Amino acid sequence: MGVAKRVLASLFLIGALLSTPQMSVQAASQTIIDDGVDGLTRAVNRMLGGIISYVRWPGAEQSSRTLCLVGAPRLTDRITPGIPGGGPAIAVRRLTAAAVTGGSDCDILFLGRMPADDRQRLIGWVRGRAVLTISDDDPACLYGAMFCLARKADGLSFSVNLDAIGRGPLRVDPRVLKIGQSDGGAA
Amino acid sequence: MSAKSPPRTSLQKLLSRFHFGITLFAVALSGLTILLAGITAMRGYADRNIELAAQLGAYGVEPALVFNDAAAAREGLAPLMRIPGIAKLRVLDDRGQPLTEWASPTPDPAPLLTRAFFPKPYAVTIRRNGSAIGTIQVWGDSSTLIDYVRIGLLAGLACLIVTALGAIVMARRFEYELVKPLNAIATVAHDVRLHRRFEKRVQPLGIAELDRLGGDINALLDELQGWQGSMESEKAMLAHRASHDALTALPNRAAFDEQLALRIAAARQRGGRFVLLFIDADNFKEANDAFGHAAGDAVLVALSSRIRETLRSGDFAARIGGDEFTVLVDPLDAAVEPQAIADRLRAAIAQPLMLPGGELYRPTASIGFAVFPFQADGAAELLTAADAAMYADKLSNRTRS
Repeated sequence: MGVAKRVLASLFLIGALLSTPQMSVQAASQTIIDDGVDGLTRAVNRMLGGIISYVRWPGAEQSSRTLCLVGAPRLTDRITPGIPGGGPAIAVRRLTAAAVTGGSDCDILFLGRMPADDRQRLIGWVRGRAVLTISDDDPACLYGAMFCLARKADGLSFSVNLDAIGRGPLRVDPRVLKIGQSDGGAA
Repeated sequence: MSAKSPPRTSLQKLLSRFHFGITLFAVALSGLTILLAGITAMRGYADRNIELAAQLGAYGVEPALVFNDAAAAREGLAPLMRIPGIAKLRVLDDRGQPLTEWASPTPDPAPLLTRAFFPKPYAVTIRRNGSAIGTIQVWGDSSTLIDYVRIGLLAGLACLIVTALGAIVMARRFEYELVKPLNAIATVAHDVRLHRRFEKRVQPLGIAELDRLGGDINALLDELQGWQGSMESEKAMLAHRASHDALTALPNRAAFDEQLALRIAAARQRGGRFVLLFIDADNFKEANDAFGHAAGDAVLVALSSRIRETLRSGDFAARIGGDEFTVLVDPLDAAVEPQAIADRLRAAIAQPLMLPGGELYRPTASIGFAVFPFQADGAAELLTAADAAMYADKLSNRTRS
């Protein structure tokens, strides 16, 4: 099964790379937001869960991951990522930047709106650590977070900062990178 | 030949027709088998192709389903759109709502083939961590199959032609091998029947059964030849016996009459002449009585051999009665006197001979002659003239002795 997956992955990558030029011009990926009050919240949590499920932390699988929420999220206040199909449980903790750098066991760092100093310090602290950084306050994804969520006219999208991912020990499924990349290119 | 007799066909034609039928049947059967096997194999190949494409698509659109992202789903399907033989793609989310759809811009080359091979789409359920998050459906089309079918049919046809040609050539060869020895046997039989050439034989043949038939015919011919030979020798013997005297082996009266007629006709034609001599042993009856029949026989044998030895090979001598001999010296040379011949014969006959009883006997003979055509020009007249001359000679002999 593992071998088959890898073969499929390489096939997919080849196909994807070949088709990238026309695709990136064609459309930017957009997660559809359902109608209703909770539509955006659900979309954000779905996207967070999706991203987390495609990230591999070094070492053994764990039954739960800790998401440390720093600053004020711009898209929704209720950050409760849902892993599709039931992956590890995500525990959400609200922390200050100092608390995070002062010693914590964060696996995921969600960066909301915060002072630029704090953001810089946190990005610096993450470097080299097995911590996934996601921001919803950086639509162009320029400040060093690995994934950046952004509200677009007709939906929710995310972009990927490949440099940031490359610096860390985390492994991200190439299919997700590709979705984020084409979106980022269009943005 | 009556009109009722059924129409005849040659063995070669019969075999040819038979072989053609067998070849056609075998080729059709194998061709059909190959075609069916090929279609089955092609179907398996096409199914595998679609299945692999569906798996690839499932892998590619999985994150798009997780993020509920139609554009990403479309991107995930992009590799599949480049695979030939896919007519339509559709991604459904976990609620069965279509997320994205794609249809090939190239038209289906053979809709009938498509309907036969891909009646319904191949669907793969996309799972994430064990739970279904969507479905991908793939419709195949005939664009890949049409080439297989085309090439397969062409190759099959080529194979059919090659097989048929090969089979025909081999059948021809077989027919030739079979018909040739049969013809050899038929030729010999025909020759024997038509030309009575009993010495003809069937040559050894390459096919065991036909060789046995040839051997039997040869044995039959051996017997026929034997019968023919013995029949001919018997006929010759009977003919000889009919025309020759058993005791002296000289031709008999009948043979002499025939010979005389022939020689008269020949002499008449060429204007030649010949002499007929009539020889009669003197005192033969007395010798027979005095010394017995065995002695008489010995005298007759001695006389005939002496007469024969005196003559040339072309001349003719016969024993026409008990002690009567006739001689035809033919042709008679102008320089030779018939009397000289008679004297020479008389002298030869007069040699003494030993009888079976041990007695020495000196035979004598009276000889008369008549020359054709001077004394007579008919067989009976000639014989009468010679006979009369012989009597005259006998009388003068008696008066002499």
